[in-house]
Amino acid sequence: MVSLMETRSAKELSEIPVDPSAVRRPARATMSPGQLAGRFWRARWFVVLRAFAVFIALWWGVSAWVSSPIQMPTPAKVFDAFLGLASSGELFQHIWISTQRLLVALVVATTIAVPLGFFMALNREANAFIDPLVELLRPISGIAWIPLGLFIFGVGGTLPVFIMAYVAFFPLLLNTVDGVKGIDRKLLAAAETMGVSRRARLTHIAVPAALPSVMVGFRIAFASAWAAIIAAELIGSPSGLGFAIEWYRQLLMSPKVFAFIMTIGAVGYLCDLGLRALQRKLTPWAEGTGIGQ
Amino acid sequence: MTVATMPTSQKPKLRLQNVTKEFVAKRTGQKTLAVSDFSLDVRPGEFLCVVGPSGCGKSTVLNMIAGLDQPTEGSIVMDGQLVTRPGAERGVMFQDYALFPWKSVRDNVGFGLKHGTPGNGLSPVERRERVDHFVKMVGLEAAATKYPHQLSGGMRQRVALARLLANGPEVLLMDEPLGALDAQTRMVLQVELLRIWGEAADHGERKTVVFITHGIDEAVFLADRVVVMSSHPGRVSAVIDIDIPRPRTEHIRSEPRFGQLTDEIWSLIRDEAYQAIA
Repeated sequence: MVSLMETRSAKELSEIPVDPSAVRRPARATMSPGQLAGRFWRARWFVVLRAFAVFIALWWGVSAWVSSPIQMPTPAKVFDAFLGLASSGELFQHIWISTQRLLVALVVATTIAVPLGFFMALNREANAFIDPLVELLRPISGIAWIPLGLFIFGVGGTLPVFIMAYVAFFPLLLNTVDGVKGIDRKLLAAAETMGVSRRARLTHIAVPAALPSVMVGFRIAFASAWAAIIAAELIGSPSGLGFAIEWYRQLLMSPKVFAFIMTIGAVGYLCDLGLRALQRKLTPWAEGTGIGQ
Repeated sequence: MTVATMPTSQKPKLRLQNVTKEFVAKRTGQKTLAVSDFSLDVRPGEFLCVVGPSGCGKSTVLNMIAGLDQPTEGSIVMDGQLVTRPGAERGVMFQDYALFPWKSVRDNVGFGLKHGTPGNGLSPVERRERVDHFVKMVGLEAAATKYPHQLSGGMRQRVALARLLANGPEVLLMDEPLGALDAQTRMVLQVELLRIWGEAADHGERKTVVFITHGIDEAVFLADRVVVMSSHPGRVSAVIDIDIPRPRTEHIRSEPRFGQLTDEIWSLIRDEAYQAIA
């Protein structure tokens, strides 16, 4: 029974953000008390909050059981540390540095991967040449390049950017190739019968037709890059969120370590919400077709 | 069949001469003869329907006229010019409409005018007026800013028709344009299509139409002539004149002549239709 309940709430969680219009909400006045209560239990903010509440309760339980403030600080201690870091501005300084690096890495990865993906999808020879190289490099984790990167770039801001651009590159490239290859041939044929030149077909058909897939690639690229930044900064950088975690670990200040870990999660979550909104805005036609959700 | 025997004094708009199309499978090298020795003259301003059993090569013929496919043998000539590639003078309406999903109704209709040769020499104002005119003609003013995925099948079909006409083609090539619709919507749109085609005739610019369908009654209702194809390989088995006067309205469906012609065409493809599902 418990597992049944869980699968249902997991389903709700995944469905609600996908298509808000699918959940029809009757007007408040016409609802019975039972319906009103049902509406309360299913409200998105409540579902999210409930998940967080369970998580924090578990955390509290485990920290009480472990009862070592270094191994597992309580949520309250972490919250205190968080407020302290926020009021001193240290938190935002590190967030700013890390997101800046993320942005640079994503711009670099996008400007290389997307045009290359178009080129590979449209040119059989290029695809035959580049694809094996991509498949060889793709399984290698970005972290594997950190030792070598330290030799080449040294400790600093360049190494994290390199690692992030590296991990962001592959999902962007592969999704672009997929998107371009999957273009409905009839759309290109239709444009051809309207006397639309090859060049205009590329910019006005191929690009928008591949966009939903590219956007999906971008979201995956962002998630991979954000996950990789910490490893890169942990070792190869004198600043940023990953560096802060390592710094406070050495000082045995676990609440601050946890506060930074939570921050990484929160920033990632918020950015993904932003990207989803961007996706809905840029590719509204792909909504409801299952693409990019 | 030789072209010279075609009973027409006018110069044909389109002349298909011994057109043959053979597809070769890339991997196996297996050859399939889709269309064989297909000869046909299409008169200017006529509404020509092509019917035949599924897989008889109807769409292949249309694609070759459009220039999207090249005949293996034979030639296709429009107004004395050999057709070698697609051009806006031969507009195509695809079976599933091929609307651009990221463009609104208006932008779909105006796509060719904006990005293709039909817009050459037109000012932005003229283009806008032309788009307005065709959006209005198909009755979609209220939905002009909507996107294809927000429209019903019948509305999408109208968008495709408006887009086709906005590009001002001389020949309309329509590949089962009503095939995906339910029976009621299809009948309404048949009348609509004739109205729009007929209106253009009042201005002395009646378009030449090649209309592919598997609906025999649809062909009889719409066409001046019906080309009946047989399959394996696809070839012309008969050309039937539809002598029902225009303008045609709903009531002709119940006239005896309508039934006679429908039966006649059905008798020509019945055996093959049965074979196809046997």
